[in-house]
Amino acid sequence: MVTREPDEEPAASFDGEDLDLSSGLIFALDVCLSDVEVGQVLELTSTNAAIAHELPAWCRGTGHELVGAEPDGDRTRYRIRRGALGSLMFKDRPDWGVSPEFRHDGFDTRDWLVGKVAEIPASADPTTGFSPRGAVVEPGAPAFPYTEKERDRVWAHNVASLYEQATAAQWDASVDIRWGDLRPLPTHVERAVCQVMTHLAENEYAALYVPARFLPRIHPHFTEVVLFLSTQVVDEARHIEAFTKRALANGGGLQFSTAMTQTSLKSLLEQEDFTQASFLLSVLGEGTFLEYLAFVERYAPDPVTADIARRARVDEARHVAFGVEHARHALAADPDRAGELRTAVERRASYLADASGQSPHVEEALVILAAGGVTPSRIRDGVQAVRALHDTMHRRRVTRLTQLGFPPGTAEEISEMHTPNFM
Amino acid sequence: MSTGSMLVGAVAYDAKVIPIWEAIREYYRGSSVEMDVVWFSNYEAQVEALLEGWIDVAWNTNLAYVRVHHATRGTCRVLAMRDTDVGFRTLLIGRAGELAEANDLQGRILALGSADSAQAAIMPVHYLRREGLSPGEDVGLLRFDSDVGKHGDTGRSEREALEAVLTGKADAAAVGAASWDVFVRAREVPPGRLAPFWTSPPFNHCNFTVLGSLDAERADAWTSHLLAMDWEDPEHRRILELEGLREWLLPELEGYGDVFAAVDEQGISARW
Repeated sequence: MVTREPDEEPAASFDGEDLDLSSGLIFALDVCLSDVEVGQVLELTSTNAAIAHELPAWCRGTGHELVGAEPDGDRTRYRIRRGALGSLMFKDRPDWGVSPEFRHDGFDTRDWLVGKVAEIPASADPTTGFSPRGAVVEPGAPAFPYTEKERDRVWAHNVASLYEQATAAQWDASVDIRWGDLRPLPTHVERAVCQVMTHLAENEYAALYVPARFLPRIHPHFTEVVLFLSTQVVDEARHIEAFTKRALANGGGLQFSTAMTQTSLKSLLEQEDFTQASFLLSVLGEGTFLEYLAFVERYAPDPVTADIARRARVDEARHVAFGVEHARHALAADPDRAGELRTAVERRASYLADASGQSPHVEEALVILAAGGVTPSRIRDGVQAVRALHDTMHRRRVTRLTQLGFPPGTAEEISEMHTPNFM
Repeated sequence: MSTGSMLVGAVAYDAKVIPIWEAIREYYRGSSVEMDVVWFSNYEAQVEALLEGWIDVAWNTNLAYVRVHHATRGTCRVLAMRDTDVGFRTLLIGRAGELAEANDLQGRILALGSADSAQAAIMPVHYLRREGLSPGEDVGLLRFDSDVGKHGDTGRSEREALEAVLTGKADAAAVGAASWDVFVRAREVPPGRLAPFWTSPPFNHCNFTVLGSLDAERADAWTSHLLAMDWEDPEHRRILELEGLREWLLPELEGYGDVFAAVDEQGISARW
């Protein structure tokens, strides 16, 4: 039996009553020992005779030291010294007592930067795995295959704010759209709506798959980026749902999808660098989509189509805001990346060089939508409206690019090279 | 023996030991004496291989070590052992509240693990005799000779002995204290139904055994590198945790005295 070492003053004590190890004493001991410092002694009082036989091996197995056992009436007082070699090897203590500020309407994600959570690494350690930023991580875990481990390659200063906006702005395509308000439309017009919905849906698949493809590559300690991109994926899922439902809802159906469109979208999916992919998809593609959706909303022949286009545009504007701010952040961190982004656009344009412009079905559908039908006088107006749309798309792209710091000439060139497929 | 890699024998008593030794072999890569591992399905074959010079080092149980010691007339050498191989103990476990001391076993049935397991069969019989009992006579024995050849490493026979206590086929089971702790921490023990009531004196468990003829310089270089494993190093710690120790120790052979005595007393053959 272990003998008493009289000079060991316990730093804490615990009355285990008649608990044995298998009945839960192991958990109580673990908690109590983690509350004393390494080298300090915990006094355990127990009326259970069996633990005299179990405790030595438990202490050995968990790296603690049983330094004394002294009978005291019907009980025994055990003295356990917390070992330096804990079974888990943490180099740091977790945060305790952090106190974030709440806003009047709740706990905003922008305000969670307290304690260790505020330490957004410039370069993240792949062996911290899926641990949330701010947790104390045991060394020795395997490295996860993240490719985006540098903050500057994913970050945007307003990402937490955009995430807050995204979570507040979710809508339900099943019930928030007043599907019952749809009325029969002239066949040409309904078919044009269905063609545009088909095209919007296929583009939104790309806008879902591209960020989804990067999500598992981004280190989770860039939490706000991961959370925001997750909302982007959900936004696009909802858009695909809404556009598909609109094509089905009013007696039409999904229409044509061209090889040109698929070729253009596939070239987005093949991007391997997050900043380049985000620039092509969100700054140029979704940026162009804002005008596309505004056009559909303006010329929609029914309130349901207009509502869907408006809701989608509000969501897309967040994606564009993230893309623009990330590009701004990446370029500020490394101005040489401007050339890299331009090259990415050139590469995509040369890949798409054989493709013959916008899908004729989509072009035609947009003209008919703007014309409100196929009467000659209106068709003329429709053609003018679509030409104006292309001009607006180009001007807005140039504006965004110059705001990012591209010289006006370069901004013009990049915008001219952008895919005629819009996305 | 060759001057190349040190060939270390180990018994693959469970699939989990393969990655442990792969990691140890990797740890030795680039050191002055590299090593490779040779797998055996049982300790008898491993001891034979050591005695025949087919391997340089055997990772032996206490019983395997005693056999090598006898076969070499004491000329074998021990290089190292785990900290947890020193002061090993056996517990007697009964149903909670039924038994209080070893003498309470009189007229009752004790479940033992594999006949070749020191902690689950050989040492409890030895120590109970010291306490004045006559296992097999005044204490009935129920033996679970599963996994014979693996010297109790699998823990299977200890689990079977505990099951016999739970089902009432036996009144107590002899189980290694470290095994009991593993079972408790793995939540294999039904809470509150079983209780240890007796702890054996300490005895030693495994060690790395070599023949006296092994080049001392190579042996020492290999041992030094083994002892250099550091719990604070995550790579090393993985190996140490898997193998169930915190540091490797130079041999402390006194703790094998009772094992030699038990083998002798119980007439367990030195070779077979």
